[in-house]
Amino acid sequence: MTENQNKTKLSRHQFLGIAWFGALATLVGEFFAGLLVFIQPNLEGGFGGIVRAGKVEEFLPGSVNLVQAGRFYLVRNGEGGFIAYWQRCTHLGCSVPYEEEQAAFRCPCHGSVFDEHTGEVTGGPAPRPMDIFPIEITDGEVFVDTGNPQERSAFSDDQIAYG
Amino acid sequence: MLRNNPLVQKLVNSSVWKSIFRHGWPDNPLDRSLIMTQNVFLHLHSVKVSKKSLKATYSFGLGLLTTFSFLELTLTGILLMFYYVPSVERAFVDIVELQTTVPFGQLLRNMHRWGAHLMVIAAVLHMVRVFFTGAYKKPREFNWIVGVILLLLTLGASFTGYLLPWDQLSFWAITVGTSIAGYAPVIGPPMQKILLGGAEVGQESLVRFYALHVMVIPTFLLLLISIHLWRVRKDGGMAASEISDENEAA
Amino acid sequence: MTEEKDKDEKEAFEKSSGKTYSLVEMVKAPLTMVDKGPDDSIFSFPIVAIWEAILFLGMMVFLIGFSLIKDAPLEELANPLITTDPAKAPWYFMGLQELLEHMHPFFAGVALPGALVVFLLLIPYLDQSKAGIGRWFTSERGKLITKWSSIYAMIVFPAFAVIDYFFPPREIFRDVFPSWVTQSLIPVTILVVLAFLPVFYVWKKGEGKATARELIIALFTVMIVAGFALTIIGFFFRGPGFEMFWPWDMPAGYSPLDNL
Repeated sequence: MTENQNKTKLSRHQFLGIAWFGALATLVGEFFAGLLVFIQPNLEGGFGGIVRAGKVEEFLPGSVNLVQAGRFYLVRNGEGGFIAYWQRCTHLGCSVPYEEEQAAFRCPCHGSVFDEHTGEVTGGPAPRPMDIFPIEITDGEVFVDTGNPQERSAFSDDQIAYG
Repeated sequence: MLRNNPLVQKLVNSSVWKSIFRHGWPDNPLDRSLIMTQNVFLHLHSVKVSKKSLKATYSFGLGLLTTFSFLELTLTGILLMFYYVPSVERAFVDIVELQTTVPFGQLLRNMHRWGAHLMVIAAVLHMVRVFFTGAYKKPREFNWIVGVILLLLTLGASFTGYLLPWDQLSFWAITVGTSIAGYAPVIGPPMQKILLGGAEVGQESLVRFYALHVMVIPTFLLLLISIHLWRVRKDGGMAASEISDENEAA
Repeated sequence: MTEEKDKDEKEAFEKSSGKTYSLVEMVKAPLTMVDKGPDDSIFSFPIVAIWEAILFLGMMVFLIGFSLIKDAPLEELANPLITTDPAKAPWYFMGLQELLEHMHPFFAGVALPGALVVFLLLIPYLDQSKAGIGRWFTSERGKLITKWSSIYAMIVFPAFAVIDYFFPPREIFRDVFPSWVTQSLIPVTILVVLAFLPVFYVWKKGEGKATARELIIALFTVMIVAGFALTIIGFFFRGPGFEMFWPWDMPAGYSPLDNL
């Protein structure tokens, strides 16, 4: 028998075998595909919405303010511009406390240090600056979108929001 | 002898006993073989074992110790489930209550915790033993693979259990641990999200870790431990039985 | 089976009506029990069952005793806003966390542990020899390799951690080289070289006669002992701020044993 004949001559027995195993494989495949969809987390609600931080004049120029509800630091620079850092360390997710005497954020987990004006790494193993949240200032009030954290590789002036 | 006690004789000769155990009193070679082959638990052993593999300084009983700690953890774990609810409002309070008001609660939790550490240590040392005695070699390669997977599952079981008390220790340990997974390329970030059920450790993470800890991982552990032990017998018993006398002299 | 073979067997083991048994199959491989004498093996029941019962009882006595002496730790309720200082992973991951302090998380947390697992899975296929099965360290040479690899790893990896702690290339060259050089290239290269140095030595010393088993013993020993050493350092010698301290001299009343 040549190969060609072999291919065309599929016995009923073989065909049914392939069909049954195909059906079984499909079922297993469907199960795992369904499982993958099923275990996807639902990310809506709670922390992750738009948080109202307060009135512009509540934040003094040159101050660092922790807004607990949104888990971010709202920093106002000398010129009055705002930037919101997520409190989460970019290294391994620890909450980063602000240390006043060093004028920097210092992570207790692995000692990463972030500059208070730019959020850039000045020490420790963190791979990138602190993530920031977009800021919207309307009618003299500061709103921060905590559902939309933005990773960045360096600080630039356009990350600062002015009222 | 126990065997000659008339009460024991009556019991052993009863039709109920005979319907359960299909062999005679194990004091002769035939019945000593049958007791192993006719019992679903004992049949994981071979009927006969090499004296060399019984030497304590060969295996140090580490594999058995791992298995036994798994059994102990299953038992204490099931008991702990009676008093624990995996919700962020209740988990921590439940643990405090377990320790302060439930009789033997503190002891039970201690035994589960220290037993878990024991299982990790015993599993690692068991792997080191198997490696240095060359017991992974042909025909035992596949059982070594099963063993490596078992070690990973053991770590997974211990890690998922670490979150359940919902105290500061567990919260930050899991935050750090799952962030590491997030650095894997491509699959890392989605895997971290699936594991946590969200962007951060929270209620969803607690339920997911709970399900993994009490159901998913133990099921796979039980299955693979059974395969592991059965393969020891099928692959010709422990590797010590293959030491030939000339090999020993060399 | 061919007919000729059939004939051979028939000649060698002629069937006889007087026999109550007959040849069923020729087994090529040696039987497990061949040449071992009748005294080499014993019935598992009851001796193995008794040993298992003793081991189980011993373990339970130990666990209950230990549980009566020392309570499992429980800190205050989880608070996502305040990170404990230090924040440590479970003790069996402290080796990993210690590595994380020295290099980019992708290598410390994913690539190196992943490589370790792959190496473990490959061991039985890399070492195909059957020599020394069931014998600790295979040979006297294997014993020597294990001993010196352990001593080597026990010195070199803690030294790596301590030197990197006091002179981290990450900080020294922060503004000189990009971070992939200081956080990935330098520490990973050092670590890989340190891990393979004993393997290379065994291979060089053996002048091509070193067996796969010996090379693998060197690598496995280094990995296990390095993991052990880094775990000890991370667990006992890291305090608040993940700074290095003596375990008995931790600031702020912190004790490493609280993290069990």
